[in-house]
Amino acid sequence: MLGGRYSVNGKSQKYTEKPIKILLAKPAIDGHDRGIFVLARAFRDAGMEVIYAGLLPTPEEVVETAINEDVDVIALSLLNGAHMTAFKNVMNILNKKGIRDIAVVGGGIIPDIDKPKLEKMGITGNYGPGTKLNIIIEHVKKRAGEVRKMRENEYK
Amino acid sequence: MNINDLVKGILNGDKRSIARAISIVENSDDERRKDIIDKIYDYGNSKIIGITGPPGVGKSTIIGNMAPMLSKKGKVSILAIDPASPFSGGSILGNRIRMQENLSKYDIYMRSTSNRLYEGGLSEYSWDIIKILEASGSDFIIVETVGSGQSDVDIMNVADLTCVILAPGLGDEIQAVKSGMMEIGDVFIMNKMDKEDAYISIKDITESLQISNKPDTPVIGLNSITLDNYDSFIDFILKWNNKNTERRNIRKIRQIINERIFTIYSGYIESIDKNKLLDKNPYGIADDIMKNFDGLKNKYLEK
Ligand code: B12
Ligand SMILES: Nc1nc2c(ncn2[C@@H]2O[C@H](COP(=O)(O)OP(=O)(O)OP(=O)(O)O)[C@@H](O)[C@H]2O)c(=O)[nH]1
Ligand SMILES: [Mg+2]
Repeated sequence: MLGGRYSVNGKSQKYTEKPIKILLAKPAIDGHDRGIFVLARAFRDAGMEVIYAGLLPTPEEVVETAINEDVDVIALSLLNGAHMTAFKNVMNILNKKGIRDIAVVGGGIIPDIDKPKLEKMGITGNYGPGTKLNIIIEHVKKRAGEVRKMRENEYK
Repeated sequence: MNINDLVKGILNGDKRSIARAISIVENSDDERRKDIIDKIYDYGNSKIIGITGPPGVGKSTIIGNMAPMLSKKGKVSILAIDPASPFSGGSILGNRIRMQENLSKYDIYMRSTSNRLYEGGLSEYSWDIIKILEASGSDFIIVETVGSGQSDVDIMNVADLTCVILAPGLGDEIQAVKSGMMEIGDVFIMNKMDKEDAYISIKDITESLQISNKPDTPVIGLNSITLDNYDSFIDFILKWNNKNTERRNIRKIRQIINERIFTIYSGYIESIDKNKLLDKNPYGIADDIMKNFDGLKNKYLEK
């Protein structure tokens, strides 16, 4: 049996690009999970490998899962107003472990005044309700591209 | 960082090294895979437990429950495979959600992977991933297959112990299981024993086994909500001593050779002038290409 092939323009071929791997997480108690399911499906349909591990209430769990699954991107979603502390906690642990080759993007209900502060921490995107899915997908692809570049030629 | 540091990390059980090595194995070429496997091949000795069965019968839930129990006896690692979408090639890796709770608590390494449309229930590089988990010092490696139909039997070539999971109320699917999966199970698990018709289902599967060529295969009922009867399942696993290394390696050798031959030929087929071939009998063209094998092979070995 030969490797998995899927059809592109009717031509059966191997994966031409290595799929982006992304972890979707809610890093605090927040029952709003519709958005994250919408994103999970959208990312899959954009060819990504998506891990949704349910609530990951502690930032340690988010980071540990991201490391074990070796994701390119962590997508943090909160609609409950706890993003400033919860997102920051995740960043702090990544920094403490010296991990720079995982991109972190955020979203949910995030007031405009918080966005520059999140950006400064390294959490980009921060998209809210009504954002077009293709804008979110393009952003994730761009960030994944950046970290992939860092990983290239890492092991000789 | 070089590949030797990565290998050292794997052998020390460092999760970041294990994780990165698995990504390299999945995402790069044969040479890189060979590099890593060469350096770790001789390390480790794990019992490889395959968990397979139709979608939704509770495979992930069972793994989430059994992993902490086994971890009292040794180090446990988990590989869980989900299907890719044939349209986009993407995948939602949803097995983790049922296991998450116990993973950090018991320091268990768990990896989700997409089958990337590889057929048979595993992923193309499952063998290599298992090898990495083995070298990292795992005593038990639990492998969850894609929720499977009757043709997804590749796990029997890879696992030392193949557990076929079933649940009451599978309806027609039980027929598929009977025709395809009956032969691959070293043990049958009837999960969801809390369900009404559970005992009838156990009786049904036991009777089918009696008329099969493996009448002595055990059937174990589990209730994954109350954890009822898990002790007999764990006992069974601990007592199981068959090793499947030869079959596992033969499968891998086949796969490597197939892939290499495919690479040689498909590269060649891409390179020939399509216009000249469109109206010719494909059987004849294929014969011509095969006759040229040595030339193609040498071209491959040169590079
Ligand atoms: C539906 C809803 C609920 C449902 C949730 C059902 C469910 N299972 O999800 C229920 C009724 C349970 C609920 C409860 C509550 N809710 Co409510 N809820 C909403 C509502 C109306 C819509 C949310 C929704 O599902 N949107 C649809 C999905 C598809 O969109 P989305 O989640 O926004 O996600 C999109 C984008 O935001 C973005 N995105 C989201 N995450 C991420 C992450 C990344 C990385 C990226 C790039 C993008 C991204 O992309 C997504 C897809 O387009 C919002 C108001 C609103 N307009 O947003 C309030 C809202 C979120 N709720 C609110 C509140 C206060 C509550 C409650 C505390 C009490 C209450 N007042 O009702 C409880 C708490 C529940 C809990 N346990 O946490 C407030 C939050 C206020 C705040 N943060 O300051 C809001 C904003 C309403 C308001 N204006 O007051 N809620
Ligand atoms: N009543 C009952 N439900 C169970 C039991 N075990 C698992 N379930 C439920 O069955 C559903 C499917 O469980 P999973 O563990 O995701 O099944 P799976 O076989 O891994 O599914 P796929 O990976 O999608 O093929 C979940 O809703 C579980 O909670 C059980 O013993 N009794
Ligand atoms: Mg599962």
